[in-house]
Amino acid sequence: MSEVKPSGRILPRERGAAPLDVVIAVMAFLAALALGASLLADRAALSWREGLEGKLTVQILPPAHGDAASALVSETNAVLTILRTTDGIVHASAISQADEIALVKPWLGADALVSDLPLPQLVDASIRPGAQIDVAELSARIKAAAPDSMLDDHTHWIGRLKSLADTVIFSAYGILLLIAVATAAAVTFATRAGLQAHHEIVGLLHQMGAHSGFIARAFERHYAFSAFLAAAIGASLAALVFIAAGGLELAGLEPVPFLPPLSLAPREFLWLAAVPLASGLIGWATARLSVLAFLREIY
Amino acid sequence: MVRFENVGMRYGPGPEVLRDVTFALEAGSFTFLTGPSGAGKSTLLKLMMLAEPPSRGLITLFGNDLAVTRRRDFPAIRRRIGVVFQDFRLLDHLSAFDNVALPLRLAGKRAEDYAGDVVELLTWVGLSDRMQARPPTLSGGEQQRVAIARAVVGRPDLLLADEPTGNVDSDIAQRLIRLFAELNRLGTTVMIATHDRKLIEATRAREMRLVDGRLVELRSGRA
Repeated sequence: MSEVKPSGRILPRERGAAPLDVVIAVMAFLAALALGASLLADRAALSWREGLEGKLTVQILPPAHGDAASALVSETNAVLTILRTTDGIVHASAISQADEIALVKPWLGADALVSDLPLPQLVDASIRPGAQIDVAELSARIKAAAPDSMLDDHTHWIGRLKSLADTVIFSAYGILLLIAVATAAAVTFATRAGLQAHHEIVGLLHQMGAHSGFIARAFERHYAFSAFLAAAIGASLAALVFIAAGGLELAGLEPVPFLPPLSLAPREFLWLAAVPLASGLIGWATARLSVLAFLREIY
Repeated sequence: MVRFENVGMRYGPGPEVLRDVTFALEAGSFTFLTGPSGAGKSTLLKLMMLAEPPSRGLITLFGNDLAVTRRRDFPAIRRRIGVVFQDFRLLDHLSAFDNVALPLRLAGKRAEDYAGDVVELLTWVGLSDRMQARPPTLSGGEQQRVAIARAVVGRPDLLLADEPTGNVDSDIAQRLIRLFAELNRLGTTVMIATHDRKLIEATRAREMRLVDGRLVELRSGRA
């Protein structure tokens, strides 16, 4: 008696669908990358909008005649006075020439000639959150006090950036959806292929009087775990990619210029865990439905 | 216990392999089913074990008319039937012990409750030293004994065996027949499909013979 070791397993331990597990792992890797990319796109869109919303910029061009320098100074002061006395504007300041040169540096370089360029004077203003500013009326007042000025409330750019961000986000969601469908198909295919190999066992258990639920449970656990494990490996590799991207940024390297950091926040990594969980769920459901469908077909 | 009335069976569009089969098995009876190869013995057993539906006719099992019995009640009926398959149908990844224990697990029994019965039965069929062996490492005769032990371990109400002594020597065959007889004495209705005339002659059981799908009763035995 002591040498008898009953087994709790109904299905064989060896797994014959290893290549399909690799497919699931690869699809899960791509799904996790697409999911991470959509999270990044979402965050980028938010940061772009937050960077421009609530801001006003007045651009004062150097006058083409007379004493340009002193005219620029007096117009700048007039603009600052108007902005600082306008209800709803909490801050207004002129941008220094050094800062302006720094702004054009990515496009024009830091050549000595840049300092000779007739750069417009920029005045930056911040609107109190929630405050309503009549931009047209403010623009008219500024134009009256400083004829060479232009008020920009960034509405045009915010609109274009929103369109760009929405395009990026919906593209990422679309790719995510396609990959999710392909992953679901891979899990379904792997599960069905495995079941095909075990039809003999299903038939025997059925013949011996096992309830459909008992047989389905034996299979759904097995395939849910297989799909979860393969997808967990794929999603973990994707997580490593995002961690590596974060490492590059920490080291001062910018993988993609003008985009927000490619590293995910700890909270966002939790979303990647949804990939193996969904994969396991698909494996579970496919195994259950396939076994029950097979059992319905036989007497 | 078992009643067939004008049962016919054909696979797909093929010819009928069973024709107008009518018989009844009383509870506690012992019956041999004989006939040449291809006469329909295995098909008849399949109908009795609920592996296939008949093409026509009426089958009653344990008082259930199968034509009107709900499918969800079939598992409970199947668990009352022990089957020795001609090709054994053992699960290769399970040990001999676990193969024999399978019907008890399906009945919801726990390992600590059934382990003793399984060990005792495997000892009776001469496999006390092969309990942990897996079917691929067992000889044909040993696999057959595991299959028989699996069929009888749950003390079924009906035992169906398809050539159960085909791969064992005469000593083991006699021992297995004694096992069936003992089970029959305890109340199990037994039907054995066989070609083994010595086995049939050694008992005074009823013999039904199938010829070209039709049933001929050769001998009405003692229950």
